[in-house]
Amino acid sequence: MKTKILIFVIVVCAACEERIDAPLQIRNTNLVVVEGVLTNENKAHSIKLTLPYQTINGQAAAASGATVKIYEGTLNNYPLIETPVGSGEYHTPPFSAVFGSIYTLLIQYQGNQYLAQDSSIPVEPLSTLDYQKVNDRYKLVFNASGDLANYIDYSIYWQTTPECLPANPCEGRLVFYDLKTIDVNEIFKPAKEDFSFPVNSVVIRKKYSVSPAYRAFLRSVLSETEWRGGLFDVDRANATTNLSAGAVGFFAVTTVLTDTTAIVEKP
Amino acid sequence: MRCGFRRLLFATILLFISSSLYSQPNLDKKITLQLNDVTLAQVLAQLSVKSGVQFSYNPKKIDANRTVSFQVTEKTTSEILAYLAERFELNYSFVEGQVILKPAKRVEIQVTQVVTLSGYIKDAATGEALIGATIYIKSLNAGVASNTSGFYSLTIPLGDYELATSFIGYKAATKQIGLQTSILENILLSEDTPVLKEVVVTASNDDAMAEAQLNKTTVRPHTVEARPALFGEADVLKSLENIPGFKLHSDGSTFYYVRGGQRDQNLLLIDDSPIYNPSHMLGIFSTVIPDAVTDISIYKGDMPASLGGRLSSVLDIHTKKGNDQHTQVWGNVGFISTKLGVEGPITKNKSSFLLSGRFSRLKWLFQQADASINKFGFHDLTGKINFKLNAKNRVFFSFYSGSDNYFSGNNGINWQNNAATFRWNHILTERLFLNTTLSASAYEYSLFTDVANQVRWNSRIANANLKADFSYFINPANEFDFGVSLNGYNFNPGNLQQGNSNIPISNVSMRNVVEGVLYANHKIVLTKKWSFNTGLRLSSWTNTGEAFEFVFDVNHKPVDTLYFTQGQAYHTYVKAEPRVTIQYLIDTQSSVKASYARNTQNVHLISNSISPFTSLDVWLPSSINIKPQLADQASLGYYRSLSGNHISLAVEVFYKQMYNQIDYETHAENFLNPTFESELRFGKARAYGIEWLLKKEEGRLRGLVGYSYARAKRTFADLNDGKSFNAFSDRPHQANIMLSYNLTSKWEVGINWNYLTGAPFSSPVSFYSFNGLEVPLYGQKNNDRLPNYHRLDTSATLKLNKRSESNYQHSLTFSIYNLYGRKNAVFINYNKNQLGDRDFKIPSNLLVSERTVSQIFLFQFTPAISYIFKWK
Repeated sequence: MKTKILIFVIVVCAACEERIDAPLQIRNTNLVVVEGVLTNENKAHSIKLTLPYQTINGQAAAASGATVKIYEGTLNNYPLIETPVGSGEYHTPPFSAVFGSIYTLLIQYQGNQYLAQDSSIPVEPLSTLDYQKVNDRYKLVFNASGDLANYIDYSIYWQTTPECLPANPCEGRLVFYDLKTIDVNEIFKPAKEDFSFPVNSVVIRKKYSVSPAYRAFLRSVLSETEWRGGLFDVDRANATTNLSAGAVGFFAVTTVLTDTTAIVEKP
Repeated sequence: MRCGFRRLLFATILLFISSSLYSQPNLDKKITLQLNDVTLAQVLAQLSVKSGVQFSYNPKKIDANRTVSFQVTEKTTSEILAYLAERFELNYSFVEGQVILKPAKRVEIQVTQVVTLSGYIKDAATGEALIGATIYIKSLNAGVASNTSGFYSLTIPLGDYELATSFIGYKAATKQIGLQTSILENILLSEDTPVLKEVVVTASNDDAMAEAQLNKTTVRPHTVEARPALFGEADVLKSLENIPGFKLHSDGSTFYYVRGGQRDQNLLLIDDSPIYNPSHMLGIFSTVIPDAVTDISIYKGDMPASLGGRLSSVLDIHTKKGNDQHTQVWGNVGFISTKLGVEGPITKNKSSFLLSGRFSRLKWLFQQADASINKFGFHDLTGKINFKLNAKNRVFFSFYSGSDNYFSGNNGINWQNNAATFRWNHILTERLFLNTTLSASAYEYSLFTDVANQVRWNSRIANANLKADFSYFINPANEFDFGVSLNGYNFNPGNLQQGNSNIPISNVSMRNVVEGVLYANHKIVLTKKWSFNTGLRLSSWTNTGEAFEFVFDVNHKPVDTLYFTQGQAYHTYVKAEPRVTIQYLIDTQSSVKASYARNTQNVHLISNSISPFTSLDVWLPSSINIKPQLADQASLGYYRSLSGNHISLAVEVFYKQMYNQIDYETHAENFLNPTFESELRFGKARAYGIEWLLKKEEGRLRGLVGYSYARAKRTFADLNDGKSFNAFSDRPHQANIMLSYNLTSKWEVGINWNYLTGAPFSSPVSFYSFNGLEVPLYGQKNNDRLPNYHRLDTSATLKLNKRSESNYQHSLTFSIYNLYGRKNAVFINYNKNQLGDRDFKIPSNLLVSERTVSQIFLFQFTPAISYIFKWK
């Protein structure tokens, strides 16, 4: 179902896009932004608390000084520590979020309390990394796989290749969302930039399972980001959240699979 | 006229009393007489033969040689005598077995004798019925307008009259007529052919003064053809932007909004069949081209009781029936499409046909860019055939078929509208006209993901309709329309299908509905100054199985599923829609009208798209979870003719309140979602405004100037914190100028300028970051506006004929859409990187953030040329 239909061409041939100076009707909000993903990896997980910012490409100010805890069912709880202080990043002690448990996030910040809950679902296996050669460089090919909603986070590094010039970052991060939803704005989403890398680059993939609530959140986020700007946009609205009133973002618990692939020469 | 009824009744009683004073023979024998164009003497002779009654009269006092027609079926002799006496102004008595006929006393003649003049008003050259033409008798100050079949009926006292018949764009005709008996009289009007023949958006001045139908506008097909158009493609729907109160979504769209309504609240009828998606190429063009159209009537909410089913407007289009005088061929060759039409008589004056087609010519162009394209284009096909069975019976069959196909490789999109109508016009009596219609219409949309295996998402709405519309012309001041209608609907709100089977492999419930409608509409002229138009429409909307529906709790979560077997009626809505218009003629040049109308809508377009393009929309019926939408609209209008009726001014104010309006939960998921009704939110809306329209319809310079100020607000408990917000159609200022000017007998130039306040949309008030994405945060819904919309189009038409009377007429039209290249924004985006000139893309690498604000706009300076021909 997820296909590019050539009907795009009809309108694209007549449509033009240009930069404009359209001042935003900026307004301060008293919202706290929560970004936290617990995984089945045994590690210190982080919850990032920030404040909304008012310019495109802006830098989010940290929401520092909060008290953050994660409850695993009714048995365990993990206090989080902001490190470094002032960063707005709060870290758990190492643990693994397990399938079947309900995790609750509790945040106390500036006299307000915010709550969120999620639990993970299994993740399906990663399929073989697909990439293709284009003009002596390589591009990832994204294919939907499996039956369950997921997303794959691709971290690409080529610092050790001759193509890496000192002035360039020589790394990239791409995410391919496969939410198994059917949305007109996704089918006809706007084009994305090409991203290519040289042979011998290393691609680290992480495939995340997505709970129903997380899926709903990601769908709404994508409707406002990667899927917006096409020809069949939906009504603009704030992304959903599983946080209590006054906070936005999402607290997710997922199952993760990861692999690493070195890009080899293809004909 | 009620007085006339009393007189007739009184005279009949007098006749009955007078005849009963004499001894009578057996007069119960039933007789049938069918006599046309015979003398009265022959009628009496035939009656004598069949009844055995002998007649005696003085030929000096009774003109027995006058030519008459006389038809009675299975009537007793006494009934026939009473009818004879009434019909021919006679008194009769029985003397020794004979019937003595005498002229009726003068006073009785005056009291009893009214006759009916009826028939069709038609184009003299083509035989095309003229809808809304007026026939007027000045000495009586009485007149009527022809109905949607071109039929008129005037019931007036016996006498000699001068009939004045007029229709905009046609030469007015006068005719002396002596009415001694009821007659059928067809009236032919000739098109006004001088250089300055064309008029603009019309409701003729006199007609507008007399017509008690507030908010109605008529658009002549020629007006649409003369208007500068995108790629030279004349387009009825796009021309609506010139009418104050109609707001088009944007460039490249066939969506329009009327007086604060939503885009699904407009009914488009072609020959009484609804067209659900009148768009080609996503909406860049509409399906409605003027070539095969004879009449376009537009109602902004105050439609007659015979029309309904939508809250905001009805666009009632009638196709030509075909020239019954001679064959003609016409066409148009443009950049996008080729149009060709042929019409002509099958039997002259009795039957005719019309076939018209439009076919896009884009496939070859796009195949140069992509060889995998195997289908790319659209077409329209319109046909009509009609037969005049006799003076009282005509039948018509018409169809419309339009389709879009865009296929590349193994994927593709197809949508199609099909409609067919069978109509039977029957003159029951001189005053009672019946139009029986059997019609069917279907709109189907398919998104193919695997053409080879026919895997597709498919949605459909289809309906069949049987209705009878009666027009009872009681007298010129008293017209009563009534009718009954039965509709059946079938909805597929979007399912996956595979192969040749229509059985869905997904699980979104189909819906079926049976609808019954009764209506009555009474136009009455009370005095020279006051007239009323009152109507009532009753509808019964019943959902039937096979279907299943969900029961939702207060949090919109499904808690139960209800299954209904095939044919099981499970939910009914009965709604009454009263409508009333009051008109006051201030003088012969100006009038004031006030109206109130309630409208009900039971079919709903489900889409949370803000795109101007048609996009996998689905339709749903009113049912357990969706109540009928309702609207109450009050209007007040002032109309004035200026400069000898060459210029007219209309000013209308309105207030509209709408209930059970549909909006959506944020980011609603209504695609292949069995519980999509849980995503719907219900609220109310209101709109108000004032509209000015100045028209000049004759002379070298013709055109219209319009301006409106209107607001539209929506309020939903579950949206925007329950606060009221601007509707998309809340674009307060609307101005338009459309002018055409005959430079010479060969050159005609035109301009069209439109202005609209920018459409509301929600712009971010701040942002936050999540997983590398920059997510906008919104404040109040529709807190911002796109830049204001304006555009100037121009055209020049060169007639290529040396002689205007030539059988082959052809012309070239040069047009420029958006002459000054205004970049009218359709969307504003905050999430793309600029890679080059006009090259904007969503960033891939989440480690780099260089997003900017950009706008998407469509057609700038767009020239076109088209060649138009007509052979007759």
